[in-house]
Amino acid sequence: MKKENTSPKDSDKRNGEISRREFLRVLVGFSLTLPELAHAKSKFFSSPVHTNALRPPGAVPEDLFAGKCVRCGRCAEVCPYHCIEMLDIRHGLYAGTPIIYVDKIPCYLCMECTKVCPTGTLKPIPQEETRMGLAVVDKYRCITWKGEGICRSCYNACPYKDKAIYLDRLRPVVNKDHCTGCGLCTAACPVTPKAINIEPIYSFKVSKR
Amino acid sequence: MGKPKKEPKIKRKTYIDTWRFLFQIGAFIAILVNPFLNYYFHVKVIQGWYQSIAFGHLWFVSPLEGIEALLITKIIYMPWIIGMTLPIIVALLLGRVFCSWICPINFFYEIMDRVHKKISKRSYYKRKPLFTLPRWILWVALVGELMLAMIVGKPIFVFLSPPGLVGREIMMAVFFHTLALEGIIVLIVLTTYLISQRFFCQYLCPLGALLAFIGAKRRLIIVQDMNTCHQCGFCDRACPWGIYPSRGEAEGIYCTNCGSCVAVCPFNARKFVFVGFTPSSEKLKLEKVPSGRQ
Repeated sequence: MKKENTSPKDSDKRNGEISRREFLRVLVGFSLTLPELAHAKSKFFSSPVHTNALRPPGAVPEDLFAGKCVRCGRCAEVCPYHCIEMLDIRHGLYAGTPIIYVDKIPCYLCMECTKVCPTGTLKPIPQEETRMGLAVVDKYRCITWKGEGICRSCYNACPYKDKAIYLDRLRPVVNKDHCTGCGLCTAACPVTPKAINIEPIYSFKVSKR
Repeated sequence: MGKPKKEPKIKRKTYIDTWRFLFQIGAFIAILVNPFLNYYFHVKVIQGWYQSIAFGHLWFVSPLEGIEALLITKIIYMPWIIGMTLPIIVALLLGRVFCSWICPINFFYEIMDRVHKKISKRSYYKRKPLFTLPRWILWVALVGELMLAMIVGKPIFVFLSPPGLVGREIMMAVFFHTLALEGIIVLIVLTTYLISQRFFCQYLCPLGALLAFIGAKRRLIIVQDMNTCHQCGFCDRACPWGIYPSRGEAEGIYCTNCGSCVAVCPFNARKFVFVGFTPSSEKLKLEKVPSGRQ
């Protein structure tokens, strides 16, 4: 019985041959994935740090970060706010390194992660010396700057109020000397897309050896 | 010891296999439980896994990952060096004990061994490996990995090490309710069990190679008492690491001091000896097997 069942199916197939249509389908499918692959390759070697995606406090610059970090994940484990995330293999050589997406959960500057890092990738530093990035106000998105209303969410959220963010005729202005780049203002900003963003300007300077 | 050969007595039971398994369970629980403690109870006493693990203020850093990062960045940071010291001292004195007594990958292999033993219904078995490679492949793995890391300029083993990945996957599951894609490596490594019992550990693990290199002149070795040995070859069949203790290879560089051969010996002819510090060391050295013997 079994043999009779299987034999008609086998006879339909031309064994081991691929039809022209199938071949072309595979070819077109493969060529469509090529740009994707090229993109993945560029992501593989380039740093994952960009606007609102920052390293934890006290981090060494990006030229050293992936070399020094042993990917033990202790910073992510001690973070009481669970703001530190771990990257996976899709980020290539940067897999396993910690990152903070400040528009999701910002850093509350408790400095716990800097105390547990065993390799000095995150150096223990005082809170006010943290420079994860610099908050930049987009004057074409901010409600107050556009004159559409009065919002001071970023000012209210800032841990260094009147120093890092001060109000100039009710409009928020960032002072570079005091901004830690913690991203509390970004998380608090009610506008989408965010009118205040953290630019990781300190992550790409060349580190002192 | 020293007695003339008699009829084999009833074997004095050694519980070394049980002890090792319990130790492995304990070591695995340390990395299994700590994400839960950290995430749900905010108990921060234990952090990390076998890349770097902290018990309070006692910090450990895995030697290979540390050396890799040191070679690449060329910067010395003291907590890092001090964290590496204790594992290196342990490897210097006791050899590759991390591999056989702590490593979570070996723990999974050991579970497979136990299941296999139950299924095979034979008291002492040795599964024939599909193929064997020359042992020096291990050194190629170590040197190749370090060279590759230095060429690329970023450490490789830190995010691809299977023992580390086990810890990271547990942590990812607890903290982010997802699994990292590179966990497939763990599955691939566990699948190599089909080739031979410790295929990855024997030939490909750079960390194991480094620990073997550090522990080349280790103090703790397993010696064979030639007076009581009957050359039954049970130790050769019991060794999951594919070495032949009866040919004196247990004192060589590739032995991990797991103690399987000690547990299996029906005549109690093999035992752990801490050489150099015990007064009878000279005597024991005489009892060592000449390594060329077949």
